[in-house]
Formats: sequence, C-alpha cells, structure tokens
Amino acid sequence: MTDEVVHLKDFFAEARAGRLTAIRCTQCGELAIPPKEFCAACGKRGWESIALGGAGTISSYTVIRVAPRGHVGQTPYAVAVVRLAEGVSLLGRITDLPLDSLRVGLPVRFRPLVSGGETMVGFGPA
Amino acid sequence: MRRVAVIGVGVTKFGKHDRTSAELFAEAAREAVVDAGIEPQAIQALYYGNVTGGESERQLHMGPLAASLIGLPTIPTTRFENACATSHAAFRHAVMEVGAGVSDVVLVGGAERILHVPTEHATEYFAYCSDASFEQPTGLTFPGVFALIARAHMEKYGTTETQMAHVAVKNHRHGLHNPKAQFRKEITLETVLQSAYVADPLKLFDCCPFTDGGAAVLVASEEVARKHPRAVWVLGSAAASDSMFMHDKRDLSRVTATERAAAAAYRQAARGPQDVNVVELHDCFTIAEIVATEGLGLFEPGMGGPAAEKGWTSLGGKIPVNVSGGLKAKGHPIGATGAAQIAEIVTQLRGEAGPRQVEGARTGLTHTLGGNTATVLVSLFGRD
Repeated sequence: MTDEVVHLKDFFAEARAGRLTAIRCTQCGELAIPPKEFCAACGKRGWESIALGGAGTISSYTVIRVAPRGHVGQTPYAVAVVRLAEGVSLLGRITDLPLDSLRVGLPVRFRPLVSGGETMVGFGPA
Repeated sequence: MRRVAVIGVGVTKFGKHDRTSAELFAEAAREAVVDAGIEPQAIQALYYGNVTGGESERQLHMGPLAASLIGLPTIPTTRFENACATSHAAFRHAVMEVGAGVSDVVLVGGAERILHVPTEHATEYFAYCSDASFEQPTGLTFPGVFALIARAHMEKYGTTETQMAHVAVKNHRHGLHNPKAQFRKEITLETVLQSAYVADPLKLFDCCPFTDGGAAVLVASEEVARKHPRAVWVLGSAAASDSMFMHDKRDLSRVTATERAAAAAYRQAARGPQDVNVVELHDCFTIAEIVATEGLGLFEPGMGGPAAEKGWTSLGGKIPVNVSGGLKAKGHPIGATGAAQIAEIVTQLRGEAGPRQVEGARTGLTHTLGGNTATVLVSLFGRD
C-alpha cells in the first residue's frame, strides 16, 4: 500500500514501456486512472498501484476526418474509449485495425504509441 | 440572496467580423445599455468571457481592455474561461455579486473571434479545452468527443442519424427568423444526411460553425429592476461539473453535469421541467441537443431522438427548443454563447421576439455546456 500519487510523468513512462497503471482506493476499492489526490468516490486518500493487463473492449469510437493542426496528415484515424478488463476505461488512438472493422464491443489490446518524446495510449488487435 | 433581474441585453450580428473580440463585446454592451435605458456610469463591474484570445488574437487581460473600449476604464473587471460555457459561468457569478449586495448593476457577457485563423488552427485551439495529457495527443477533436457520445447513445437507445438530422433542419428553420443569425437558410434532411463525415457518426451539418460575435447582459438588483418594466427575473442559476477525462465518464450516453446543474437550478427556482415554456440549449452538435433535452428532464432518457423527429421541439411544438436557431444556425462564438442564449430567453419572455416568438412564454431556461461535457450551466428566467 502507498499513499504516493502516481504522477502523469510516471504513468506515461510506464505506458511507454508497455505497462498500464491504475490506482485502487484502499478505503473503498474504487479503481481509477491516475493521478488523483483524493478518491472521488469516498473522499479518502490511500492508493495502491495496480498493473492493468491491457485487454479491453471498445465502448465507443469515432473516425476523425477533420483534424487539428499537428494531426492533419494522419486522417482518417480512429479514437476509442476502451473498457479494460479490470473495469476502468481509457481513451486511445486505434492502431493496426481496419477502420471499417470497428464496432462497439470489439476486443482490443493496449499498445503504446511513441512519437519523439511523446507517448500516447493506443489500442490495437486483441 | 437578493432577487436579481436582467434589465438589458445586446447581441452583435453573428458571423465573420474584421473587428477584435473586445470591440465586438463593446458593441453588444452598448446595445444592452441602450436597451436598458441606463447611463453607462451605472455599471459597477464587468464579468467578461473569452476563450481563445490568447491563441487567436495574442490578447490576454481582456477585462480591462473591453471596459476601456466601452468607456468604463475604471470599473473592476474579471475575465472568465469555462470553454464553451464561459459567459454563462460569468453570468452566474454576476448574479451572485448582485444577489450578495456587492453591486447593483453588473455588465456580463463575452465575445470570440476565430474565423480569421485557418480551420485546423481553430480546431486545435478548441481542442485545448480537452485534457492535454491523455486526449489531445490522440488527435481527439470536439466533433470527436460528441461522436463518442453519439455512438454510445445510438447503441443504448437506437438513436438514428436521421433523428439527429432533424435537429439540424429544425434549428436552421428557426434561424430564418433571427436577423442576428450566421445562417438564415433552410436545409433539408438530405443535405444533412449526405454531408461529409467530420467524426463518424457526425457529419458536417451535425456541427455548429465557427463564429465571430459578442453578447452582453445587464444584471441588476430588484430595487433597480423595479424601475424597468421590461425586466426579466433570474429564478435560478446553477453550475455543475463532471470529470475532465473521457475515461472517467461511466456512461457516455449521458451528460451528468447537465442533470446536476438542472436539478440545482430547478430547486432554486421552485420549478420543474413541466413549467418551462421556451428553452435555449447547447446544440454544438445535433446529438448534444438530443442528450440535453433528456438531461434537462424535458424528455425521458432515450426519447430525445424521437422528440426531435416528431417535431416536439419545434416552434409550435410541445416545448420549443432553440427558436433563435441555436448554436447550429445562429452560430457559436464560444465566449459569447451563454450570454446570447440568455439574451434570446429575455427577448422571448418580454414578448419581443417577433416571428420566432413562443406565444405566452412566461418561464424560460438556458443551458450551456463547456468542453468535453465537464462544465454545464443552467439558468431559469421568469416574467414574475
């Protein structure tokens, strides 16, 4: 058990190495994506780090065809909210999956997408 | 809290302008002062809303700038930023300042200027209203956020792209009668359904436009308002938030901040959804209107789509929604939108809305949503 906060820098350093981290409230069991100081469910402070397996299913997705500056050359690309097996959700870029194969409920698996110094959450074939 | 009223409103033409956002606000403020029939020196504070000025106009510290252009360079000012709910958030604080007895007359509103920058820049600046760590790096856009909500709503309730298209057609029809609207042109279901996808399942005509414009509202104490026969009372004004992160939202088919803000505003006003005669709500995307009509309690969850299809939200329908044309046709200068919605409801409750008037409207509601559904404001207004 730890009452240390998992900071964004730590979360993304771990993600870059292929590992997803969640935090579980030691008071009420709430599972959350860090960082959080207090538990939004019970208001207490006491977290333990949980390694997530990376497997999940798509709960919603979209194919972006008009992109912000910095992503313009990448269209079309898909972004999805994925419900992970442990019961917590993450948003990420879909990779290595045909856009027309996407549907709600499709099993996917986490993979880090690294570009220069930046790491983003990605999801590819299960 | 003292009773608080709106005694004057002003809105610029929405569309493309070659003036700065502070100039646009100053024009709206002048219109509000003339509308109220007060001397500008009666204004004791300015609550000013703007979102992208730092990026699009290289301008911060906009409160005193706007006050200087109005000709009130010495009044206290504060700039607000709550994404697309910015000036509605400012309004709630102005109501609290007057309600608390700190000031008797406060000028509140906002402005935005964005059409002078390329679309991909504007899309990027708006995306700054979502989280920069998890969400912006994925290339998620605002149409993308509401596309995720739309897909979840379609999965859960069977909501269709045709039902969403009905919202766009209705709001464009309403906008015909609003001389300040950016688009005054009817569109057909086919136009919407055949338009290109921006973020599946949302198409170009499911989206509101980028817009330049300003809007201003004068908030006053009961003592001042008694001298203004066209005053409209603020019955309630409430704010609520939801987690900034899409990954924290338990049910993407709902905007729970809308439900919380509405419950608080109804409680303050001692009224319920059945008492509301006219609604201006945040239709940044067609699905946003459908989900908002459910969150405000106008329809049961899942009935927002069928209600749009059956015309229940049209002028002359059960509960007219966005008779101004809404964000879809009137336009969406994000820093001005909340104040512009309030200006429309005040105009409606005064009975001064001309061909878009909801006959006999006595209670009105405004709903403004900020960013990735993390900020929502709801206010209620009445003739008495």
